[in-house]
Formats: sequence, structure tokens, C-alpha cells
Amino acid sequence: MKLYYFSAVGVLLSMGLSASELPDRQAQLPSVAKDANAQYIMPSDLSTIPEGEFGDKVRKGYQLFVNSQQMRDTYVGNELNCVNCHMNAGNKANASPLWGAYMAYPAYRKKNDKVNSYEERIQGCFTYSMNGTAPESGSESLVAISAYSYWLAMSGLMNQFNVAGPVPEMSDTDLLKGGNREDFPLPKAITSKLDQKALTMLPGRGFPKLEKPELAYSIERGKLVYLAHCQACHGEGGQGVKMAEVSALPPLWGPQTYNWGAGMHRVNTAANFIYENMPLGKSIQLTVQQAWDVAAFVNAHERPQDPRYKGNVAETQAKYHQHEGFYGKPSAADPSVILGSKSYPIFPASK
Amino acid sequence: MNKNNRLKGDYLKSVNTAAIGSIFLSSVLSFSVMANIPEESPKELLQTVPATAQVCLSCHGVDGEGLGIAGPRLAGLSSEYIADQVSHFQTGKRQNPTMMAMAMTVQGDNIKVVSDFFAAKPVADIKLQYRGDKVVITDIGEKLAFQGDWDRDIPACTSCHGPSGIGAGQFPRLAGQEPTYLKNQLLAWQSGARTGDADNMMGSIAKKLTAAEIDALTQYFSAQK
Repeated sequence: MKLYYFSAVGVLLSMGLSASELPDRQAQLPSVAKDANAQYIMPSDLSTIPEGEFGDKVRKGYQLFVNSQQMRDTYVGNELNCVNCHMNAGNKANASPLWGAYMAYPAYRKKNDKVNSYEERIQGCFTYSMNGTAPESGSESLVAISAYSYWLAMSGLMNQFNVAGPVPEMSDTDLLKGGNREDFPLPKAITSKLDQKALTMLPGRGFPKLEKPELAYSIERGKLVYLAHCQACHGEGGQGVKMAEVSALPPLWGPQTYNWGAGMHRVNTAANFIYENMPLGKSIQLTVQQAWDVAAFVNAHERPQDPRYKGNVAETQAKYHQHEGFYGKPSAADPSVILGSKSYPIFPASK
Repeated sequence: MNKNNRLKGDYLKSVNTAAIGSIFLSSVLSFSVMANIPEESPKELLQTVPATAQVCLSCHGVDGEGLGIAGPRLAGLSSEYIADQVSHFQTGKRQNPTMMAMAMTVQGDNIKVVSDFFAAKPVADIKLQYRGDKVVITDIGEKLAFQGDWDRDIPACTSCHGPSGIGAGQFPRLAGQEPTYLKNQLLAWQSGARTGDADNMMGSIAKKLTAAEIDALTQYFSAQK
């Protein structure tokens, strides 16, 4: 009931804001420390997605997620794919899995007294992480990504609580809302074990919160970590590796990656992500200190502008960057340059 | 030495014998090698191949196209990768008696000359398969290639080796590579006989692969031509 109230206020607020200001949809992920005994839900194999219209949407969502470059120049403005940060096609626990996010939306945010639907959260990914332009509300891409997320969440929950049968189909309108609502249809076998609040905090959601480093993080030390452990895949200049004109390995700074409004530009978010998920395949484990240092190094480089920027870096910094990040601070490459002042364009054409 | 290693050793020995044999034969048979490219006379060929790369042709082919079991394809690999491998053979990070000896003949600036020469050789265009092109994949090799197996922390091969495994930079092209070579490399990474990448990324993955998966991967990538 309460949620609906907030949701109505949210709609009004967002309508009021939309003309002048982009909403802040890259709130810091609610990260908690990793629990070694946590049991993660295990979504079903892709081969069990049903035939038919609903299944087609789920499959489409998977395809957009692992090959987001098919949306380059329509909604995507850099060389990233969703799967670059959300490992195993958005399925891997502790790599911000889609199933965790889906069950946490709609979500109320104190900061702007607004409720974001799941669809709005995904729109935020396009605006910020993908440095692009958000697909229209209700568009095919948003329905597909929502359907895929829902299917992962629901099949995982059904598997955990031994609920037989196919994942129940859902209308597009409902798919876009997310799973954190009183009228979200869930089998009794699940709701009797997990209440709505527990479902918003499924173990493995987000990136696990990393303890603070022993020493304050350092760009200089981070550079050494980067050169030793990251450059083979991400390039000496953070440019990634292109194969057949497409970045097979993602750029981390420069014009072709996440912009200054994306969650990953925060040092703490990047450190959490890196410690848990990098290098890909985890042949080694970076130390806590290395993860913070290299996160600082990567994020102390210029990247595409914050889409909320209105002509003044200091103002944008004051309004939106009161957190652990380098926007408005000296660049790692050239300390005489203030980051944000030479930012790259938002949603540039690919050619 | 366990049975697998012994079998592998025997296999390598026979490959090496064949390779060394073919090097000796190449001086005798150089006409027949060159006859593969009738549009160029032997004289022209000698002018276009850097002297320091001549030694490579008898096993890797005049266009670096690979000569089956005698030598893998070099065309399609980056200059950076080829140069690294020459140095890995010189320093023992890669083990192959023939190549360890051959690599010693290429030193200093010549490493780049040889690497650039083969890296510039063209490979046929193939229809590229990207992640997501297929949602349901039944072949275990193809599935590992495009989806990995995250229960074992195995990323999709194509996340580093690119669509269809075409490779770039430090990541070698797998598409269309000689199958015995691919298989031997996965086994060498697995046993630790091959090293030299960053943080043993490839060794760590290869150790998790089963024999059946190595066969399936070999089959999948070698067929992409």
C-alpha cells in the first residue's frame, strides 16, 4: 500500500523533473559484506525457456544483454556490453545479478523521494553505464531485458523452494515494474519462506562490500597493479581490445566506456567489483589494497561527461559527486587537468 | 610420468621428428613448396620473404597458413603475440624441442621482422558468431566457447578470444587453427608445460577442463574456417 503511495508521488516528481533534470538513477548499490555460507539462487538453464511469445522476450533479453553492441547508435553510445560487468549473462552472484536487482525494484529512494521501477533502473544503465540514450518506457528492449531478469529470478526462486512447473508468464506492463511489490505473484512455497523484504536482499545481490584498505588508496600504486594484472585485457591505455571492429574486451576509460554518471566510476563500487570478479576467471586473487588502488587508478581518468552536467564541472561535482570519485579532481594522466573538464561526448555516433 | 604424459611425449617426439625431417627436406624440395604459389617465381618469393623468416616456411607454410601437423597456422595471429611466443620458446616458457631450437635462430630486431611478416598474412573471412547469436547450445565445445561454465569459474572463451575465436593482441586466433595443435596447447596449459600469459589465466582455465571438453573445444574452433 505504502509503495503505491510513493510510486504515485514518484511519477509526479519524475514528470516535473524530466524537462529540466535527469533523475539520479545510479544510486550507490546497496552492498553488504560477502557471507561465505550464503546460498545463492540458481536460475534454470537457458534451454528451459519456453517456446512462444513470452519465451521469445526472455531470449531477446538474454541476447541484448550479452551482445549489447547490436544496440550501438540506437541506445548504446560506447563499446560496452552489459555482460562486461554482470558476469555469466547477469546470472553470477556477487556480480550484480539481474535476479537480485529484479526482486529489489520498484525501490523507494530517500534522496529524491521517488520510487524507481525496474524499467527506470534499466533506463539508467543505458544513460550512464552505456553512455547512450534510454529506450522509451515500455519499448521492446526494456520489456525483453525485464522479461529475462524476471525469468532468472523466478526460475531461481522456484528451484530453491522446489516449485515444479514452468515460470508463470506475465504481462509486459507487470514485467517492467519489478518484483518488489505486494501484488507480485509468487507461489506460497516461496512467500512462506521469504517475506518481501528478504526477497529484495537476496544473497549475492550487487557487488559484495569490500573492507576498507589498510592504506588510503593510491593512484600511483594502482597504476602498478593495472600494468601487472589488467592491461593484457584492457590495454595499456585502458582502451580494451577490439576484434572485428568491436571491443571484445571492454575499455575502462576514454571515450568508449561508462560515463561520469555511472555507478562504476565510484572508487568503492569499482573496488567491490574488481576484488570479487577480476581478473576474469580469477586465476589470482588481488589483495584488498590492490583492488582499491587499481579502482582509483582506473577511475582517475577522463571519460564521457556526466549527463547531468550543465556547463560547469564544479557545480556538477558539488551537486552529484559527493562520494568516492575523481570527478572534479586532478587526472591520473595529467594532474594539471581537472577531470570532467575534458570529458568525452555523451552518446557519440560510432562512426 | 603418468600415462597421459607419456603418450603426449611420444606424440610430440613424432611431431618433432616429422618437423625436423621436413626442415632438411625443405632445401631439397623447395621447388615443390614454392609451386604452391604459381603466380610468383621462386626468385620473387625469396625477395618478399625476409631472410630471417625463411627458416619458418617449411613447417608453417609460405604464407604462414600452417602445414597440418608439421606446424600451426601463424597467419591471423598478431605480431605482438608471435613475438611473445618466440621469446617464450627461447626462455623455456613454451616447450617444443624443434621450436626451441628454431626460435634461437631469430634474435634481436629480427623477432619483430618475422612477427610482422606472418602477422600481415591474410586469413580467409569467416562468418562471425557472436555471444547471444544462439541462446540454446547443445555442443559442449560451442557452449564453453560462448557461455563458459561459471559453476567452475570458466568464462566464455570468446570473451577474450573474440567472436568465433578470431583473436587479437595477446589473445591468439583459435578459429581455423590446426586441431592437433589446439589440443596440444590446451594439454600443455593444463600440465603447466606452457606458461607465459598474464597471471596464468589460460593455465587456470585449462586445468578445469575435462578431456572430453578439450576434444570438443579443439573440434569447434578448428572447424571455424
